[in-house]
Amino acid sequence: MATVPAKKIFTVSQINTLVCEMLDEYFSDIWIVGEISNLKTYESGHIYFTLKDETSQLAAVCFRDSARKLKFKLETGMLVIGHGRLEVYAASGKYQIILDTIEPRGIGALQQAFEQLKRKLEKEGLFDQARKRQLPKLPRVIGIITSPSGAAIHDMLKTLRRYRAHCQVLLYPVQVQGEGAAAQIVRALDCLGRREDVEVIILGRGGGSIEDLWPFNEEVVARAIAACRVPVVTGIGHEVDFTIADFVADVRAATPTAAAQVVAQGWYELEERFNRAVADLFQVMQDYLFHYEQRVDELSRHRAFEQVVRRLQDSRHRSEIYQAAMVNAIRRHLGVQAAALNLLNEQLSRQNPVVKIRLRQVALTDLKSRLWRALTAQTTNFNTRLERLASTLNALSPLASLARGYALCLKPDGTLVKKIGQVAVSEDVFIRLSDGRLKCQVQDKIRGGENGE
Amino acid sequence: MANRNNTEKIDFEQALAELEKIVKQLESGNLPLEKSLELFERGVKLARQCKEKLSEAELKVNKLIEEKEGEMGELPFAEEGD
Repeated sequence: MATVPAKKIFTVSQINTLVCEMLDEYFSDIWIVGEISNLKTYESGHIYFTLKDETSQLAAVCFRDSARKLKFKLETGMLVIGHGRLEVYAASGKYQIILDTIEPRGIGALQQAFEQLKRKLEKEGLFDQARKRQLPKLPRVIGIITSPSGAAIHDMLKTLRRYRAHCQVLLYPVQVQGEGAAAQIVRALDCLGRREDVEVIILGRGGGSIEDLWPFNEEVVARAIAACRVPVVTGIGHEVDFTIADFVADVRAATPTAAAQVVAQGWYELEERFNRAVADLFQVMQDYLFHYEQRVDELSRHRAFEQVVRRLQDSRHRSEIYQAAMVNAIRRHLGVQAAALNLLNEQLSRQNPVVKIRLRQVALTDLKSRLWRALTAQTTNFNTRLERLASTLNALSPLASLARGYALCLKPDGTLVKKIGQVAVSEDVFIRLSDGRLKCQVQDKIRGGENGE
Repeated sequence: MANRNNTEKIDFEQALAELEKIVKQLESGNLPLEKSLELFERGVKLARQCKEKLSEAELKVNKLIEEKEGEMGELPFAEEGD
């Protein structure tokens, strides 16, 4: 102001130019808040409107280049924050603000754009449940659209492997953020969708800010998903992130990993089904063998066998009686002999022929030993018969006749080995077969079923 | 190729279905020991076949690349750091 000389008379143009310079100096980089009214969008792409508050208003313009960058559509009544500069429009002497950035007040511009697009597509029915397609149960070719270098592809492939997806993956590498990302994603969806072998497509991306995830909120991407020939599963960002792509997709998974899980679920279940069937097979066979083992046990305790055992016991009892009788007989015999001896002794003692007594004593000893021999022979004979009887019983053993191909495992002391815990490694065991026994040494103990599986 | 994959898949599912049928048979009836052993052996054989098929299930990953305008080619995809 000090540079303006007193009493100088300006022309209108001079004043406007001076004001323009001053505004340039002080108001070329300002932020302003206000409500939009008198909104007019021209064919050229320029947007004219008025920013106002309770008591005043200011003309505003957003030129084509800036308008194109807006992430949301301006609407009358919207409270916005804008950035720009003040300018005098010399032709009319009015000043206005030229805005290069406009954001809705309160929520971010992207959020606003998101809500607008979401409402629009929802109205069109793009999110309808009826549109959602079923995923193939056992996909053989899976298309994946994501960055080839991010954590997302790594997570997805790891998950597909872990879920034993028996399939082929076609990765269509794309940029997942920034300028051009949306166009690449659209091309990828189109390309994979055209291929006859692709049965399902995963569109994935790791976490990021709303700006990073923005390509997945673009209308072109949403429409490409809706138009895709094969079902699309999205796994974008984290659990809390919802993108427009998620709403349009046939299945929205929370993360890339979850998307891979959803797609590979059928393969996983198939393998689970298989594992269960194998476990059941071994279990039911074990039950069978246990059942038969029990039946053999029961049979071996059958009355018929008990009778044999009882007969054997009877025989033993009878043999004891015989033995006792024999002993008695021998005793009696000895008693008679002793009586005779006594008599002789008496006679001899009367005659006192010492030599004769000696002779008699020798004869008596001889008689005694003969008697003992006879007794022993009888007993041995009986024991032999007993053993023969026992072995005949063994031959009739239920185990031998019923097993038919089964083998019994016995410890050297005859204990039946039923569990591997009963024997130690390198311990000798006998494997009892139908016609004999194998002497074996335990080499190893393997717990579990037939195959040790 | 899709066709061959298809055949493999059917084989696996058929084998698995038969295996499950065998388990059901064994579970349901009091079969003679001979018969049960026979079924069991068949089951083990099927299980082995399935297992082989499953171990073949190596995930094949190819990367699509644009060779010419509009024409796509495939290359095996190797993950970074692998």
